[in-house]
Formats: sequence, C-alpha cells, structure tokens
Amino acid sequence: MSTIIEKVRNIGISAHIDSGKTTLTERILFYTKRIHAIHDVKGKDGVGATMDSMELEKERGITIASAATFCQWQDYEINIIDTPGHVDFTIEVERSLRVLDGAVLVLCSVGGVQSQSITVDMQMKRYNVPCIAFINKCDRSGANPDRVVSQLRSKLGHNAVAMQIPIGLEADFQGVVDLLSMKAFYFDGANGEFIRIEEIPPELLEAARKKREELIDAASLFSDELTEAILEEAEIPEEMIAKAVRKGALTRKMTPVFMGSAYKNKAVQPLLDAVLHYLPSPDEVENTALDLNNDEAPVILASDPTKPIVALAFKLEEGHYGQLTYIRVYQGILEKGATIVNTRTGKKTKVGRVVRMHADQMEDMESVSAGVIGALFGIECSSGDTFVAPGLNLTMTSMFVPKPVISLAIVPKDNKSQINMSKALNRFTKEDPTFHAHVDDETLETIIEGMGELHLEIYVERMKREYNAEVETSKPRVAYRETITQRGEFNYTHKKQTGGSGQYGRVAGYLEPITEGDEDFIFDNQIKGGLIPTNFIPACEKGFLQSTAKGPKMEFPVTGVRVVINDGAYHAVDSSEMAFQAAARGAFREGYARAKAVIQEPIMKVVVESPTEFQGAVMGLLNQRRGMIVGAQDEGVMTVIEAQVPLSEMFGFSTVLRSATQGKAQFTMEFSIYRQVPQSVAEKLAEDYAQKKKSEA
Amino acid sequence: MIKQEMILRNTMRQLGFESEEILPKGGFGAVLARAGVGKTAFLVQLALSGLLNEKKVLHISLNDPVDKVNIWYNELFRLLAAGDERVNKAAFLVSLLPNRFIMTFRVDGFSAPKLEERLNDLSEQGIFSPSIMIIDGLNFEDSRISDIKELKKLAEKRGMQAWFTVQTHRHEEMRTDIFPLSFAPFAGLFEIILELRHEHADVHIKVLRGSGSVGESALLDPTTMLIKDKF
Repeated sequence: MSTIIEKVRNIGISAHIDSGKTTLTERILFYTKRIHAIHDVKGKDGVGATMDSMELEKERGITIASAATFCQWQDYEINIIDTPGHVDFTIEVERSLRVLDGAVLVLCSVGGVQSQSITVDMQMKRYNVPCIAFINKCDRSGANPDRVVSQLRSKLGHNAVAMQIPIGLEADFQGVVDLLSMKAFYFDGANGEFIRIEEIPPELLEAARKKREELIDAASLFSDELTEAILEEAEIPEEMIAKAVRKGALTRKMTPVFMGSAYKNKAVQPLLDAVLHYLPSPDEVENTALDLNNDEAPVILASDPTKPIVALAFKLEEGHYGQLTYIRVYQGILEKGATIVNTRTGKKTKVGRVVRMHADQMEDMESVSAGVIGALFGIECSSGDTFVAPGLNLTMTSMFVPKPVISLAIVPKDNKSQINMSKALNRFTKEDPTFHAHVDDETLETIIEGMGELHLEIYVERMKREYNAEVETSKPRVAYRETITQRGEFNYTHKKQTGGSGQYGRVAGYLEPITEGDEDFIFDNQIKGGLIPTNFIPACEKGFLQSTAKGPKMEFPVTGVRVVINDGAYHAVDSSEMAFQAAARGAFREGYARAKAVIQEPIMKVVVESPTEFQGAVMGLLNQRRGMIVGAQDEGVMTVIEAQVPLSEMFGFSTVLRSATQGKAQFTMEFSIYRQVPQSVAEKLAEDYAQKKKSEA
Repeated sequence: MIKQEMILRNTMRQLGFESEEILPKGGFGAVLARAGVGKTAFLVQLALSGLLNEKKVLHISLNDPVDKVNIWYNELFRLLAAGDERVNKAAFLVSLLPNRFIMTFRVDGFSAPKLEERLNDLSEQGIFSPSIMIIDGLNFEDSRISDIKELKKLAEKRGMQAWFTVQTHRHEEMRTDIFPLSFAPFAGLFEIILELRHEHADVHIKVLRGSGSVGESALLDPTTMLIKDKF
C-alpha cells in the first residue's frame, strides 16, 4: 500500500484530565467511519470509549496507555495517539510528542487552561510540536470560550486566535460560525453527522465580522500577500487567510482555536478539517538522528521511501498474539520480510507481521513508509529503541526520562503469582522507562519504583487483571537521598598482607558538594607525576562510584558529590585494580565522615484547583503537610493554589482533599526538586534506620 | 556572607535613603513608569531585599500568573548573586522563599475586602502574615479614591508597608509637585513616590517624594534590570 506523504498527519490529542480527549477521539473515529457506534468514557451502556482499550481504563474513566489508531478524513490519513492526562503518566505524553508532527490541545470551556495543560504545553514546546486548540464542552454551564482564548495567551503565551465563534452557549449551544467562510455550521442527525451550512444569524454578524478582522490581522504577520490585500482593501479570499494561518501554526507562532462539544456531537468535523489544513505533514517536520559512527553528530532524516530505513519503537504492548511494538518510521520504508537492526543491541531481526492499529483491533499491511506510524509483531526490543537498515548506525535522540521518586515492596501471594509477577514486571519495565523493578539484596523483596502513588497502584492492578498475579504491597517508600554539605578530605591507604601477593593502594584528595548543575557524581582526577599509575585510575573511579550506591549515613544513594583525587601511592608488586577499588571505598568513607552529610527528600510541585470558598481549607491542608505555598491564583469562582510539598507527606492526600472540599477540588502533582529534610524528620529516619539494623542483627 | 553582600549591593541606600526601612508601617510607596521600563523588576528587587532582611513579602500580581512572577524572582536573584561561587545559590534562594507568598487576581476581581479575606485565611491558620506587600498591575485610572483608601486602612491595620506599580503614559509630564492625571488624586496617600524613566541607554530612578531624598537619582541597568552599583 502506498502512502502520499503530504496527505499524512501524525497527531496527538493532549490535555488536562477530564477535558474530554477520549470522547473527542471517539467522535473522530465515528465521523471517519472507523467505528459505527459511539460509546461514552463512563458510558451507561457499559462498553466504554473505543480508545480506552484496557479494562482498567474503562472502569476508571481515564486513559492510561496511549493507544495509536489510524483513520481517514477526506483523502488524508490521520494517525492519532490518545494521550493520558494524569501527570503520573507523563512519560506516555512525552513519548507520544516525540513521534508526533502536530497536536490538538483540548481545553475545557469551563475549566480553561488548567495546571496539566501547562505541563503538556511545556512538553509540546520541548519537542517543538505545532498545535491547534479545541475548546470543548461549549454546552456546559459556565462555558466561556473567549476566556479560554485569553488564558491561552496569558497563561501559556500562545498567540491564540479564534477561527470560529460559538452560536449560543451552555444548554443553548447550537453550532459555530466559521470566520473564514463567514457561514454558520449546524450539526444535525442523532450523532451530528449531517452538516447544515447557513447564513450567519443576524445577531452574531457584527461579532463575527469583528473576530474575522482580528483573525486577518493576526494572520497578516505571516503573509505579505495578505498584508497587501488588507492595505488595498481588496476582497480577501479564504485560501489566502488559511495559508497565512498555516504558516503561523507550523512555526508555533500562532495557535488557531476551534470550539465545539464532542459530547453533543457538535463541530468535530471542522476540527478534522483543521487538522489537515493547519498541522504539518511528516515531510514538513525536520527530524534528526545521532550518528554513532561519527561521535553522535546529528543527521537530518528525509521522509524519503527510497532511503535506508530509520524507525523508532516508541511503545510496547502485550497483545493477544504476543508483543506489539508501535513504531514511527522516519526514513525509508519498512516492509514485511525486510531485515532491520536494533541499534542498541546490534541484533538483526526480520520484520514479520506489519499492522496498523485501531485501539485494540488491527489491520494487516505490507509495509509502513516514512512518516507513518504502524506496529510490528514478534520484535524483541525495549521502548525507545531505534531500528535501522543494516549498515547504518543511527539512533534517534534519547528521550528525557525522569528518575523515579517512590517505591513499594511487593510480595506475591502464592507460587503461581510469583511466576506471573515476573512476567508482568518484565513487560512493564520494557514498556515504561519511568517504571523500575529490582530485588533488594538484603531483604530479598521485589521493589517497584515509579513517578507517584497512582502510577504504582495502576501497575499493581494491571498485574492482577492482565497477569493474574496477586501481590501484597508494603506502604509506599520515598526515595530519600544522601548528599554532603561541605568539603571533606581523605587520605586512605588500603594495605593487606595475608599470605600470597598483598594488596596496596593509597588514595588522597577530597569530596565536595556539586553546587551548580544537576549532576549526581563527578570524578576529577588531578593526579600528577604518576603517583597513581593511569591504569589504576578507572579502578579508583569505580570504587568511589560503588560507594555512592549506598551512603554510609543511612544507606540511601549518595548524590551531588564531586570527588577530587590529587595524591596517592602504589606498590610495584602489591598494587592491583582490586586494591585501588578498595582504597577508593575506604577513602570515600573517610571523606564522607568529614563532609557533613545530610538526607534529602523529593519535593513535589502540587497544584490544587479548588472552589474559592475552600481555598483557606486547602491551604491549611498543604501547610499541615510541611508544604510551602508558592502562590494562589484567583480565577473567579476557582482558585489555583501552587505549593511545594514533600512526597512523604502526600500519601492519601486525595482522600483528605475530597472530604475537605466536598469533592470539588482536584490536584496534580509532579516531581520538582530534592531538598534537605528538617531536623525532626532526619531524627525519625535515623531512628527507623537504627531499628532496622537492630532487627537485622 | 553572601546575604550581607547582597543587602549592601541592593538597597534603597543607592537612592540616598538612610536605610531599607524607608516606609513606615501602613505606608504606601509608588513606582511610576511607562510600560516596559522595569517597574516589576524594580519592585521584585525591593521584595528580595526585604526577604534578605527576613521580612515576609506578599507579592500580588494583577496581570501575571504565579509561575511568571516566580520567574521574575528566580531571574533577578540569579543576577544579584551572579559571580559568587561560594554557596549553593539555588539552596540559598529556596531558604528565602518560605517568606514570600504570591497572590494573583484578575484585575476586576481585586478589592481590599477580598484581599483582607485572603489574608485572614492565611494568618488565622498561622500560614503567612506579611510585613511588606507588593501590588503590581493595579489600574489607577479605573480605581476610586475610596478603593485605595480601603487598601491603606488594611495596610495600617496589619502594619504592612505597601509598594505599588503605577503605569504612566508618554504624554504625561512628571515633576516633584505635579503627577500624571491618572495618579494625581491618589498621590496624597503615598509617602514615597519614585519614577523610572528611560533616558539614552539607561533607566533613571528618580525620587519624586520621600523624606530628605527628593531629587536624588540612581540608575537601573536596562540589560539586567538591576540597580547599578554606586560603589
């Protein structure tokens, strides 16, 4: 099957939780005839929206894993990634944005630009993804699209320009006026599938003219032709404005704004038209890979099917028939039977079945060409791996992966669960780079680590549902760290003579805190004159690095330490790599004891959106949790409170917040920074540590 | 050490005032300037100066969201502490921030009773009780004298010093005794009035009203928006 690259759109639908992304996607699939009935996210019919393919998502009414799906509108091919809205799953959003060419930012016409919209917008900026905005839920009480447009400008800094105005609002919402054609669009039929185009209602004519002028003014910045037409006061053709808007949108200098109500089946089709008109095709986006043969020099990839293949595996899923690998092809064509190489492992693989996914149904294909998103069966790889044609050694730029901040110990309930749990963990850690699992050397417990309480909770439930692995969980543990606050000198000699050849190595220098940047460990070798022979230096570094895994104070990992070695000694016979490693470990302990070590804890950025009358109560709750309130933003009936709160204090916060605000407030939380724990907490941790050591003895 | 040096570097002393405490409790100060000259940057420096002196600062912004105000503080702190490699600046700034609280209101939603309600929420729970208040973005053209008087009463009641930004326009002339039309009715409520004016490559800070220092001036570096060192 051949694909015309100009007629492909790879888009994401990103937004705040509950702003209606999944409903919108469902409607898009209905209008593009990929599904034949509409189900709601929290549907009364018990079926659930098509994109929420996992049972758990259907039950909770939220989207967890991005399901990639394909549809056609007019004669264009659209690949859609439905992205999760909760911050705990942000890695999914990040991954989607990495492979997308454009995005639809969905906003609620009542809630407007909410905290998660800000996070998603930052991610879009990071990957330079052009976007259009869709103000959803115009039928809701309190709907105010104008306010949302101005929030897009003030809160997100977008040059947001309305392309439509609503006809009626709230319960009276009937359709939209298109400011390009200056026509009114109504959506008839049980599912809004029949578009009726009429003249603009007289009472809206003046407002529409004014908004059209604003639109033309904004668009004229991107087209000399349009500016000339304005100056000549000539009739301005629709296409001329559309062309200018497209230019602005592709460079992220303008955000065209559309509006409607997905739930009421209104104005989704014009949004689909906008995806074709204002978001880029794959060949309009520059993608680069790193050449591993040439010191990771960037290489620009061309969406040319005749060039050697370069593709990125951005998502793995356990399907009914084995592992399903979602890939985006950046260059060349991926055909059934072709041989591809995984750059990370160097392993060659033959491409078996190639499919195109539609939530949990699929369509077989012969090939996937450059610019297209597809899925492969039977490919062994991890998420984020690059596949290339034999002979190439390119890798797509590594994705930004945050470190986990919370952990849980899990214990399988029986032997069967033990086996299934291993299978599940193997799968999940491959699928999600922010989810880690390991066995603790001392307690022999299996520890899972992730980005938040909900993140881990979801995986524990998936283990049970998808793998039939029943596990018991411990209380969540916070990922504390140790660091030093002052310089600590060391001069340590490791000397052993117990028959046979001895061990000898002396290492001297100092440890000091890293004050700038966010590096965890720096090793600085300032040895001169061969006091320690060059071949033993890596052993020294290894010894120091090993010591940081478990800090001498409370066995938390040590971070933010710069190790400088400037003196040492060796013995011609007794010095060895092992001896210098041991000397470095001893030196670290010695320096560490003098460097005033402290414990640090993860601090979360917590944003609570609450009705104004509860803001005092919310601030009180945050304050009780050792939270530092950064600020409160008055949004009329709602107040947005931003605070920095230690993660250890946030367990169970959602329940407390619900009861304090009659369930009317919601919050999002993401990792912000590591900060030193207060004295009282440090004492409690020391007590717990002593207790643990005592019980182990 | 860094603290002492920053206090010395960034003080109202540059403007000829004897100490940092130039406003009495309940006193009002205004910074007048045209758009884009550096009113916010100047007030954030005053706020940072307050924080370094262990004062609690309430920053009210009627135009910008919390995140943007936060960026002003981070950026100006970074510039003020630039060049000093002895301490972990990020950690030092973090230690100052518990004494700062940012509140943002939509311009039409801001009033003295609403502010008082918010402040009561904070002080009754022992969360925050400010001694310096910065109000950035209040539109004096649309304000009534009674509104500002109410704010003054609130500041006096809570013993707060309050600093305001006042936007002026190109055509408005300013002298020590004549203020722009939009601000003139309120001028009587202010103990200190400063003007920022763009002249050639510099921004001049001029004292229009303030005990013993009228006519004194200092410079604001237009690239960093920091008060230029006299020393």
